[in-house]
Amino acid sequence: MSENNVSIVMDREDRKLSLENENIAIEVKDWDLYYGDKRALHSVTMSLPEHRVTAFIGPSGCGKSTLLRCFNRMNDLIDIVSTEGEMTLHGDDMYSKDMDVAALRRRVGMVFQKPNPFPKSIYENVCYGLRLQGIKDKAILDESVEWALKGAGLWEEVKDRLNENALGLSGGQQQRLCIARAIAIKPEVLLLDEPTSALDPISTLAIEELIFELKKDFTILIVTHNMQQAARVSDYTAFMYMGELIEYTDTDSLFTNPKVKRTEDYITGRYG
Amino acid sequence: MKTWFKKGEHWIWMSSASVAVSVVLVFGLIAMISYKGLIHFWPHAVYEYQLKQGEATETLVGELRDTKLKEFKNPQTGKPEHISQYLVKMGNRDLYGIDFRWISGSDLISKEEKLADNIVVIERYEYGNVYGWLNQFAIDGKTYQGDKDIESILAEQVQKGSDLHAEIKHIEKIEIGAVNYKLEQLRLDEKRLRANHEYDDEAKVKLAQERAELQKEFEQHQAEAQVLYKQLDSLGELTVKVSGGQSMQVPVRKIVEFWQPNNMSFGEKVGFFFHGIGRFLSEDPREANTEGGIFPAMIGTITMVLLMTVLVTPMGVIAAIYMREYAKDGPLLRTVRISINNLAGVPSIVFGIFGLGFFVYIIGGSIDELFYGYALPSPTFGTPGLLWAALTMALLTLPVVIVSTEEGLSRIPRSLREGGLALGATKIETITRIVLPMATPAIMTGLILAIARAAGEVAPLMLVGVVKLAPELPVDSIAPFVHLDRKFMHLGFHIYDVGFQSPNVEASQPLVYATSLLLVIIIVSLNLGAISIRNRLREKYKALDN
Repeated sequence: MSENNVSIVMDREDRKLSLENENIAIEVKDWDLYYGDKRALHSVTMSLPEHRVTAFIGPSGCGKSTLLRCFNRMNDLIDIVSTEGEMTLHGDDMYSKDMDVAALRRRVGMVFQKPNPFPKSIYENVCYGLRLQGIKDKAILDESVEWALKGAGLWEEVKDRLNENALGLSGGQQQRLCIARAIAIKPEVLLLDEPTSALDPISTLAIEELIFELKKDFTILIVTHNMQQAARVSDYTAFMYMGELIEYTDTDSLFTNPKVKRTEDYITGRYG
Repeated sequence: MKTWFKKGEHWIWMSSASVAVSVVLVFGLIAMISYKGLIHFWPHAVYEYQLKQGEATETLVGELRDTKLKEFKNPQTGKPEHISQYLVKMGNRDLYGIDFRWISGSDLISKEEKLADNIVVIERYEYGNVYGWLNQFAIDGKTYQGDKDIESILAEQVQKGSDLHAEIKHIEKIEIGAVNYKLEQLRLDEKRLRANHEYDDEAKVKLAQERAELQKEFEQHQAEAQVLYKQLDSLGELTVKVSGGQSMQVPVRKIVEFWQPNNMSFGEKVGFFFHGIGRFLSEDPREANTEGGIFPAMIGTITMVLLMTVLVTPMGVIAAIYMREYAKDGPLLRTVRISINNLAGVPSIVFGIFGLGFFVYIIGGSIDELFYGYALPSPTFGTPGLLWAALTMALLTLPVVIVSTEEGLSRIPRSLREGGLALGATKIETITRIVLPMATPAIMTGLILAIARAAGEVAPLMLVGVVKLAPELPVDSIAPFVHLDRKFMHLGFHIYDVGFQSPNVEASQPLVYATSLLLVIIIVSLNLGAISIRNRLREKYKALDN
């Protein structure tokens, strides 16, 4: 465990992170979001780099989860939500009229705060997204399930009981299963909405290691309440407050040398 | 005492008392129906009663069926007295004219009950039971005397007789039935051809040829049946002595069964009891439904209920999905919901009237005009039948299914829907693959309630397809197997018919209880089946409840 933590630190010291040197996955411009008349996001503008972990921190109700759910248009499900601004994924306008929302969600996977496996077998959970795409070939499904479960670090634990109900797994295992389910369809971006808040410390550590592994293949955006976690796993960190993006830079700079007073107050625990 | 009230003890006592009363009522009901229904199959002992008739004495033999006390004013003392009245089933209807008789305790010479020794009870296909003593048995000019000899030869012959009856029934119902069905089809073919002006000489010859073949087949079957009838007639004839010294001839072909209740051991009585239940379940009714079994009514009820389930499930579930998942919340949706809830409270006879007016006359009439015009004026679907009964019942139970499905859908956690959507599923894919399977326990609950209601309903069914006696079962081995246009029998209506429309009330009364018991058992077992499926599903999804 500690070895990995060392390697995380080493990795960061190796290179100088700067947004200017990154390929950009998602581009957000003047993004506003309203719940009915209430404005929940105030012209957020940011670029999210590819194959990096970007963390969103901030006090409860600051809009970080709301923003995260904009990236796969989960907010569409709420009737009263309306949005303004521009958001592109690798250059494609995510909110254009011809964008197929289901296709977008295949490109932007999501893992939720509370593990939500379907009441089906472990195997069926993982290949759910693949079956939706009409893949019926057993060999391809088997291969993808194994790849996804290995990717989520769950293969060794469940390989002998793939046909058992997923609800029989522990909370941490269920969350990793949800991650496996999300990566099985090979999305470009993976959204993690407080993925460890319902888990015990050991499961949390397992997920954090997993995030570190996954960023090789995916662009990861994570919302967390735990500032240590943000510091441990992320390359970039965005601090939000009252629906506004206050400060957004590489994680080291943000935690060691915050430019804005409010950020400093928050990370030193003066409020929030 | 004051603190007793203050603590609310009286409320607790009152609620437990009302629970106790309800439990007693429910179990009392079940116990009474079970007892009265099952006692019918137990071989009743046959007693001999000596009655004063003026100067003479009269001997009366029969089963004691009921006792009650009647108040009399004693002419000497002027005081009221209670005297027992006995209802005796004495059978031999063709001899005495009546087969049940009330006798007064004051007419009895001896108060003690005396079993009639060696009495034989013979159940006949017509005219009810015979009570008497074996006298002699004649077959092919030979006569048998002596109880033992008669008994053994009679048992043998009666067995042969019932085999022959079964064979005849098979020929008449199944084989001749199939030929009749084909003949009817030919008749309709001819009508259709005539209507389309295609009835030319070629068709005429072809039809005539087919008809002749069927006619030949029909005659062949009839000849077979005739042979069997001849055999039945030659099975012999039994002579019994009945009380009062008269004797009576009973040919074997009229005998269903005979038994000697007073000579039976307990084990034999138990055997007879179960044998009787089996016959009740598997035989057709006889004698205007007052005797025999209720097999067609049972089949009719089950077929109707299953068909109703098949119809109501998709309708109710789809409606509930639309209202819960797609429709926008607003005054319109609320109005629809209130209407559906109120629909559950509409008296069932109203649904029956609607079914008759809308389904039978309008829809059925239109179907006849469009597809069965050649058969008119005799209606095919424009008359009450199985399909319309099932549809009416489906409509009647629709609110229950909608409400419970909606409840089930609303209980599926939001997180699971989001999980499905986040993997690139569309809304309809999420509903069919995640939400609906998880709502099945709730849908099953709705269906359980629907089944219980539909199986017990009588009033609307009388208008849309149930009859007192249906010539054919709604399901049989002739394609299309389930005949949606046929009328059918139903246990609920059978109870009403036997209990209140029958010419022989005393004879049919036990059947009313037995049929009620069966109806309760069918509903309970349909429900138990559905409940066990539901519980299995619940088990599968139970981790979601916490």
